Amino acid sequence: MTTISKFKSFPVRINWDFRDLEAEKEDRTEGKEKGSGRVWRLKGLPHSAQSRFALEFSPCWQKQVEEDRKTSRSLITTPQCRGNPSKSSSGLFRTVAMPGQVLPPPCTFLNVGQAFTGTQNVSSGQKDEAWKVNVRLQGCDIQQGYLCGSMEALNVPSAETPVVTFWEGEIVDNKNYTFFTGQWDATRDTDVKHWDRFPSFGPLKEEVKKDGGRSLDLANYPFMFMRWKEKFFVNVGTDCGLTIAGFYYVCFSRSDGSVNGFYYDPNSSPFQKLELIATNEGRSGYSFATYKFQ
Amino acid sequence: MPSSAAWARPEELVESLSSLDNTARLKALRDVKNQIIGNKTKKLSYIKLGAVPRVVEILASDTEVPLLVQSAAAVGSFACGIEAGVKAVLDSGVLPHLLKMLSNGDQKVVEACARSLKMIFQSTLAPKSDMFQSHRMELIIELLNSENESVAEVAASVLARCCETVDHQRALADAGGLQSLLRLLKGSVKTREAALDALGALTKGNKQLCAALSSMDQGRSLATIMKLVKDKSPRTRLLACTCLANVGKASPSSFQKEWEIRTSMLSVLVKLFDEPGSVGEEAPGVLADLVASNEELQEVALDMNTIEKLGEFLRKHELPSKQLAGVLMALAELCSRFQESRRQLLEMQVQAPIIAALEHESTSVRAAACSCIRSLSRSVKNLRTTLKDERLVEPLLKLLNDSSADIQELALSAVSNILLEFTPHKAVVFRCGGVSQLIQLSQSMDPTLRLKAVWALKNLIYMSDKTLKETVMGELTCNSLVDLIFDSEEKVREQAMALVRNLVYGDEDSVQLSLVQDAVLLHAVEKQLHESTQSEICIQGLYALSNVAAGSEVHKEAVMNIIIPGTSMGVNRNTSLLMKYLQDMTNPQLRVGALWCVINLTFPSSLGVSSRISRLRNGGVEAQLQIMAEDPCLDVKDRAKTALEQFSTVEIPPR
Repeated sequence: MTTISKFKSFPVRINWDFRDLEAEKEDRTEGKEKGSGRVWRLKGLPHSAQSRFALEFSPCWQKQVEEDRKTSRSLITTPQCRGNPSKSSSGLFRTVAMPGQVLPPPCTFLNVGQAFTGTQNVSSGQKDEAWKVNVRLQGCDIQQGYLCGSMEALNVPSAETPVVTFWEGEIVDNKNYTFFTGQWDATRDTDVKHWDRFPSFGPLKEEVKKDGGRSLDLANYPFMFMRWKEKFFVNVGTDCGLTIAGFYYVCFSRSDGSVNGFYYDPNSSPFQKLELIATNEGRSGYSFATYKFQ
Repeated sequence: MPSSAAWARPEELVESLSSLDNTARLKALRDVKNQIIGNKTKKLSYIKLGAVPRVVEILASDTEVPLLVQSAAAVGSFACGIEAGVKAVLDSGVLPHLLKMLSNGDQKVVEACARSLKMIFQSTLAPKSDMFQSHRMELIIELLNSENESVAEVAASVLARCCETVDHQRALADAGGLQSLLRLLKGSVKTREAALDALGALTKGNKQLCAALSSMDQGRSLATIMKLVKDKSPRTRLLACTCLANVGKASPSSFQKEWEIRTSMLSVLVKLFDEPGSVGEEAPGVLADLVASNEELQEVALDMNTIEKLGEFLRKHELPSKQLAGVLMALAELCSRFQESRRQLLEMQVQAPIIAALEHESTSVRAAACSCIRSLSRSVKNLRTTLKDERLVEPLLKLLNDSSADIQELALSAVSNILLEFTPHKAVVFRCGGVSQLIQLSQSMDPTLRLKAVWALKNLIYMSDKTLKETVMGELTCNSLVDLIFDSEEKVREQAMALVRNLVYGDEDSVQLSLVQDAVLLHAVEKQLHESTQSEICIQGLYALSNVAAGSEVHKEAVMNIIIPGTSMGVNRNTSLLMKYLQDMTNPQLRVGALWCVINLTFPSSLGVSSRISRLRNGGVEAQLQIMAEDPCLDVKDRAKTALEQFSTVEIPPR
């Protein structure tokens, strides 16, 4: 989750300025094709506001963005019905598209009930801001590449109480989900750019750029890549001043249970960093609870 | 003279039924029969006038063919379409006479009696086991083989109605029923349908007979049935699907081209939903059988909009029980695995009719509604959003005491899913006394009920606070929990160990629960870890110990004494529980559990950590960890490394 840009429902006509922004250049140059992916900014807005609006356009959805701007709608297109690009949905043998892939082995830090704690950096432009964030896993189904839980943001300036959301996650296992998101307004370019922020993605990058990294053996990789998508606010209304329109690219370390993430939402300031560690909640050791549906 | 004008008054007619004159009796019989056909009011008034016993008397004592035929036909009419009529003829003791007449030398008599039997057996009032007494069974088989096709058809219909238990199925198969019925598939539409109907009853839930059917005549018999899936007659299509669904359910890969057949059955059944009458009513139930535990097929069904079609039925009021049960069962199967199915169904806003069905008078509807809730509740997200309706709690809890054990089991499963830490239902379960019910059921003599109740209690304790844990334990008692840890059923033992694991999870107050009553729970876990060979049980035990080891110094020492006890000679390297599980190569999860114990016992900056590390070192643990740092399982490898790091903080004392 992140703050809603106060300019979100800005009136219809906007003049776009083509000047590149120095401050954000290094974030935005990689993997760019000629003529696309320019940094755009709004004319006549203060710098801090500019950066929030700094949008990166892929030509293909530029039009859509403009349409949405005009009608003040969210940029989110309806996700695919069963946003799961890797599963074949027809034919006789309805096995998964990548039969050779082995599911990742269990990791105790992905046990239901596990708590994580840390921060999300929501800085934009000159304003330096970070929230304390607590996450708790409530469900995990490695077979289906699924996990879910709650996320609590503390000391959010605009909110009186901690804000709790419920999220669902996809594990990139090349069986249920691949590195390519295929929904939530993320292009392949967006995907690679965000994954590439994780140092542990380095060795995989070329393969992923080539074919989505479908033949990579992720089961034995010391890191697990995921997407966490918040679904609803638990304790506040949608008018709480925060948005959950985006989602997190997540890199989870199997060895110590630490979580790194980057929030992606075309309407919010880019690359907000989430940093969490698995916590034992102040006990002198780690404990693990268990439940199972019948 | 025109007969309608000549009918006598009813009272007189009934009198004439007992006339001594054969011609008069025959005429009266015929008149009564003609008057009551299709007329419920007439049937009721003649029943009131006492006509039925007189008609039956003719069947019992007369010998003339026309009289027998007419009386049998009249019995059939009385029994047709009106339960009071069925009751009246059964009360008059007609059954033995009808059955006896099946061996009459005259075909017309036999046919008429068979037809009446068919009418009677369409009702649930018919006593079914009566048909399976040895000589009667032989008789029915003989009739199945009758050259008179309508007799054979009737025999098949009677079998379809009364073959209900495994014993019935076996008796029928032993008497050669399978072959006879398959032969009838070549007959007229009606005969074929009766035979398919009986084959469906014969194969339902019976692995042996399903296997027999699929291998019969080198699979040609089954192939015949497969062709019928695309027959012109909707009823034939339905019944063929029923047979094949039974076969498919019993043995997953029993026929060739299985996938094609199954998917085409699926689309045939979905189309049959719209058929009027009994075909449409029964189709959802058959679909439920077809897709049961077949995930791939469930996914295809999803693509066919099946959820939406079935959900629409729930929006209609007053579905016949059989149809309602079938619809709910089909939805329960389709939603058992796929969240997308659950989402589609819940978005149709049909929660209220499903909850209402929990209180339906029909057992099968209640069971199906329970199954449906169970499937829908297998999702954290649903429990927090679309399924958060608290009104489902009370009827479910009521079903925990249902007279049917099947329903109790299903209700337990559903309750088990809705009382988790993050659900709004948990508090309601508590308020309505659900916890006491669960504890009572955990003491049941029925092993399945016991298993599911302990499982539910484990889920309830998951992430609970100390107050709740104490409340539950106050009522359950440590001693009962220990009994469950040593239950005769392995699966119960596993759940009981997991319950202990959740009980001692958390802060020191929770951990302390392991030490109450002279640490009786801890010792029970220890004993299981020594004795059990079941890794699932031991994994839970190791995590229980690891949770205790996350507590205070006292708790850590208690765990030390269990997993690596000191002797007067020092630590015995080979027999400690800890080494046993660190070295276990059967299941990596055992090694992981054991490693968490080590990690917690050597947790940095805890008071007695140095002493524990040296004891563990002496017990050969550090050397074992070094081996495990190269374990093929990632989780083991990572945990071993963490443990080694913690060891490295305490130096090895110079010798």
